[in-house]
Amino acid sequence: MRDREEGRPTRLIILFAALVLALAAIAAGCGGDDDDEEAGGTNAAAGTGTGGAASGTIKIGIFSNNEGGFAPFEGQTWGGAMLPLIERGAKAKSGDPTKGVDGATIAGKNIEIVYGGSDSTPDKAVEEARRLVEQEKVDILIGPLSGSEGIAVANYSKEQPGVTFVNGISGAQDTTLKVRSPNFFRFHNDGTQWTAGLGDYAYNELGWRNVVTIGDDYDFPYSQIAGFVAEFCSIGGNVSKRLWPPLGEEDYSSYITQIPENVDGFFMGVGGTGTVAFVRQYEQLRGNLADKIMGGIFMTDPVILKELGDRVVGVVTAGMTAGDSDLPAYKEYSDALGKAYPDLAGTASSVFAYGYYTAMEAVAQALEEVDGDLSDDHAKLNDALSNLELDAPLGTIKLDENRQAIMDNFLQQIGKDTTGDGVPDAKTIKTIPKVDQTFGGFFSPDTPSPDRENPKCEKADPPPWTKQGGGG
Amino acid sequence: MSLERAINWAPGLLAVVILALAPLIFSDFYLSAVITKALWLGIAAVSLIFLAGYAGMVSLGQVALYGVAGFTFANLVVADGGSKVGLNPWVATLLGLVAAVAVGLFLGAIASRSYGIYFLMITLAFAVLIYYFFAQVTDLSGFGGVNNVQTPALIGNPLQDPAPLFYIALVASVVAYALLRYVSRAPLGLGFQGVRDDPSRMRALGYNVPLQRTVAFGLGALVAALAGVISVWWNTRISPGSIALPQTIDVLVIAVIGGLFRLEGAWVGAFAFVALDNWIRGVDVIGSRFNTVVGLIFLAIVLVSPGGLMGIWESLTDRLRRRFAYESRAATESPPVP
Repeated sequence: MRDREEGRPTRLIILFAALVLALAAIAAGCGGDDDDEEAGGTNAAAGTGTGGAASGTIKIGIFSNNEGGFAPFEGQTWGGAMLPLIERGAKAKSGDPTKGVDGATIAGKNIEIVYGGSDSTPDKAVEEARRLVEQEKVDILIGPLSGSEGIAVANYSKEQPGVTFVNGISGAQDTTLKVRSPNFFRFHNDGTQWTAGLGDYAYNELGWRNVVTIGDDYDFPYSQIAGFVAEFCSIGGNVSKRLWPPLGEEDYSSYITQIPENVDGFFMGVGGTGTVAFVRQYEQLRGNLADKIMGGIFMTDPVILKELGDRVVGVVTAGMTAGDSDLPAYKEYSDALGKAYPDLAGTASSVFAYGYYTAMEAVAQALEEVDGDLSDDHAKLNDALSNLELDAPLGTIKLDENRQAIMDNFLQQIGKDTTGDGVPDAKTIKTIPKVDQTFGGFFSPDTPSPDRENPKCEKADPPPWTKQGGGG
Repeated sequence: MSLERAINWAPGLLAVVILALAPLIFSDFYLSAVITKALWLGIAAVSLIFLAGYAGMVSLGQVALYGVAGFTFANLVVADGGSKVGLNPWVATLLGLVAAVAVGLFLGAIASRSYGIYFLMITLAFAVLIYYFFAQVTDLSGFGGVNNVQTPALIGNPLQDPAPLFYIALVASVVAYALLRYVSRAPLGLGFQGVRDDPSRMRALGYNVPLQRTVAFGLGALVAALAGVISVWWNTRISPGSIALPQTIDVLVIAVIGGLFRLEGAWVGAFAFVALDNWIRGVDVIGSRFNTVVGLIFLAIVLVSPGGLMGIWESLTDRLRRRFAYESRAATESPPVP
């Protein structure tokens, strides 16, 4: 009894000591960083003060995924988002882009970056958006990353008319086509638009007639596969089966065995870290898939492509980036990203980097246009964003009436590595200009949302970029 | 023993009084994102603490059961996604609770004959099963979940005025606490404790042990279901991501941080957890490493005070109580013989 009596307080003391130490460490870290920020802030203010334009600070919240299947892409998203600030004179705090930048200014205003992170689920995304908007009081919010998150955050943005939301890289169709929040903007194409040209290529170039699709079971792959199905079926192709493994699946063998042997090929909408697992397992079960597969957006992501290596040489994919582009603006963007963040060198063509880049660049250009004026619930800024002709590295981006981007789409073929960096080269074989969200008239606010069964596989008026539609 | 009573009741009453005035004290965001969330997470955790502390059943299925209630509710009212039946939200609430209790009783009956680690694993299996059920049955949910769920008119728009939902969560918390406290002292609860302590002796006394455990599990499901429905009111959405393993672990962590042996510990743990979550994410050095920090605190508490924060509180008040008892005795009686 006596021992216990004496033992307990010691334990308590240890606990308190540990807690106090932990809290002190956190507080010290916090305080220290606050000092840094203040110092950075005052420096910036002094710097622009001599220029005579500084007044006020604009808070920009940025959030991507720091947990879940897309967490490996957090660095790319942040690198993309920081680059427009760095191009405007800010300095990266470290090689890790999530640490933010020092001395960022746009239109003479100091820019304060607030960090956020979610886990690809809509709940967490809204919770994080709420924290950033309602507690951190950001003026502008850039994010989220994943499809279902985007729909939820766009819905939330309707409740916060005084804040401007710019989508990060979440690509579900409904986010803009159905939700249509007046203060939510998306400066990149959605998952459906990204597939423009693939159905045409499969039918007319590869001669496929009967295909299977496979994609993660959530809103972004629904949108991607919707685009492929709409185009491929409109010109006479048949989609005989759609397979939907859950997001985050690691073992695709049971799905691979469900792909009939006799189909001409399959469209792959498995994303994130699942792509590599899928391709490897397919190889083990069925042999080489390069002549059987048509890829979604993730296959040409530089990080994933490096792991896939020669397995996917010959595969055709489509998306809004073209890593082989020789446009000077693209070269400049790509070099600047590698220079600011050496770890991200070579990832400029990732949609994650490019999507967050166009988001921040659009915010910066619009803020410059209105001279940083956020009065009247951002009326001028929102107007500027709606009418912005964003001069992006791979071509101009304009918004439609639902504040959704209209931009070029690139058909790419993966070829052997010739540059010696160990990553197969993606070569652009066709550019489809100005793909809009209706996808040549297939989708409207009244058509059913893309899901497991929709859109139906039906013959229809082919979109204008297909051979049958008069393009080609 | 008025001092004893004071020590037992004063902090709780004080907390309830402060909470009752919370809308006047705290900002809307804090009221909604921290306090209201902590209240409903506390309800979820108290169902686990009740099962663990009074029935000896450490269940990992509580989040899944609250998911059953939440999804049932979300599917029965007007919403984006789900089956959009369009019932009155109160009717849907009731049906949500009924569905969760029914599923709870069914799963409880299956799990009632296993103990310890086996019981833990079976309930973990339930959790995973229910998660995948909603993730894969797209007619009911799918990964994107059910969005823009209609809530009872009484609540209004929680984003613009969080006070009504906060009061509802507060009342629900008090009701859940009172119910479980009452049950734990009623013959039914004493039976649970008997089963917890010695199932074979209880069997020998003529109790139907599996039935007792099934009923306890069903009661836990009812309380968890309350949390599930309130969580949907609070989020205005529910998706399989809301009831996945991370949330299951969160509720377990909350219960352990608060203290597995005292019902009040659920809310103490939930407040600590949510406040920490909210505050720590804003701290630059930690930011995305929230889970690491919570893990370390969890470890510290498990190692130092198995009774959690409530355990620390008890040992503090114990000392106080003993000292007073000693002093009052010293004043009236002769000094104790050493």
